[in-house]
Amino acid sequence: MAVESLNMLWKQVEEGSVVLLDIRPQGAFTEAHVPGAVSAPYSRMGWAPAVRRWLNSQPGGVAVALFGDNRVLVETAKKALEQLDVPVAATFEGGVAAWQAEGLPLVRIPNLTADELVKNLQHWKVIDVREPYEWRSGTIPNALKIPLGELPHRIHELDPKARYAIVCASGNRSQAAAAFLAERGFEVGNLAGGMSVWLGSGHPIERG
Amino acid sequence: MIWVPLYDTTQGCSSYVIGDEVTGRAVVVDPLETVGVDNYLLTAQEWGLAISHVLETHVHADHRSVARALAEAVGVEVGLSHRAPVSYPFRPLREGDRLELGQVALEVWETPGHTEDSLSFLVYDRLRAPEPWMVLTGDSLFVGDVGRPDLAVASAEGAEAAAAQQYQSVRRFLSLPDYVEVHPAHYGASACGGLFMSKKPHSTIGYERKFNRLLQISDVEAFVEQQLRLLKPPPEGAARIRGENLGLVVEA
Ligand SMILES: [Fe+2]
Repeated sequence: MAVESLNMLWKQVEEGSVVLLDIRPQGAFTEAHVPGAVSAPYSRMGWAPAVRRWLNSQPGGVAVALFGDNRVLVETAKKALEQLDVPVAATFEGGVAAWQAEGLPLVRIPNLTADELVKNLQHWKVIDVREPYEWRSGTIPNALKIPLGELPHRIHELDPKARYAIVCASGNRSQAAAAFLAERGFEVGNLAGGMSVWLGSGHPIERG
Repeated sequence: MIWVPLYDTTQGCSSYVIGDEVTGRAVVVDPLETVGVDNYLLTAQEWGLAISHVLETHVHADHRSVARALAEAVGVEVGLSHRAPVSYPFRPLREGDRLELGQVALEVWETPGHTEDSLSFLVYDRLRAPEPWMVLTGDSLFVGDVGRPDLAVASAEGAEAAAAQQYQSVRRFLSLPDYVEVHPAHYGASACGGLFMSKKPHSTIGYERKFNRLLQISDVEAFVEQQLRLLKPPPEGAARIRGENLGLVVEA
């Protein structure tokens, strides 16, 4: 993609006239993504119909662009949408490295290993976004317990100056929560592998 | 651990996408032209993985590999035995090398016999245990059989020496615990094996220790004699296919 059209794409994403679908795996999205991009990991199984349903639920008049890091995957996703008569206005296949090389912004969320987090626990406030029944298996000591679904309306409970490590069972829901908070200006990290790695590593837990 | 075998059911070839769910990194072993580069990319994507390593257990003589094309598509070098006589740049692998994906790791064993450059990979998932869980045996140990010794050598003496190497290599697997899973590069009637190869693509060390006929032979001469006596005809176009996989220009 030429530099002018890339800057144009970013302007349209920023002003909201283009929705940028990031087709890379969720984990890659969490590590770094374009501000405002929507995570929609491509799959041959039901991806395009799901995207079309989601687009139909959005306000009209929004064009779709695709963001990926591999030509084959971007082309395959584009074709799948076009077969359902969803036009694709633009594609970008250079990934976050090429995006950043053009001086365009990214949201980055560091992955924390369980070993790193346990060593630096005093520097992080932990948010456990699992459901209440999952907390019974044990939580990280002093963790705030906020199920993922409650996070949007409990965001005012958080301290804008703190650093938050987000935790779930396997690291998937915490990625979504971390991206949500990072886009709202919080400094966050994501516990890679979630509580399954924390418990498997024998790190301290608390049962409430 | 994420574990996705992809097969060529017409030739009895197995390839593997193995991933670490924590880091999202994946290794692809023995990618097949018939499965295709796009299929490996899409499979990795659908399991939430990015391919960080492309490996071959050996330079194949029975089917075309897409290791180079896949490695190029994801921006890495193919990992091959340091003994592989290929004409293109690659990442040389040696006995004891470890490839780390995160909690999942592969350890290299040099297991010559089928070819000089035959490797096996022990696979670890440290989320579960510090011990290996499975072994990718390439064309060394098969389910019910072992890899033939004659496809990459020029003479009968060469095949005999390779069969003796294969004896040492396959007996080495017997040092592993019974529960370790065996995942070869072929199954069924693949031309790379002998008469006893099972249609089932995967097994365990314990089952093979007990029921693999060639592992019952504890004498190198008897093993060599048995292997050479039961050889099937070589796969059609073996020299040409191996030449292509080596990266040599082959005349039509
Ligand atoms: Fe082979």
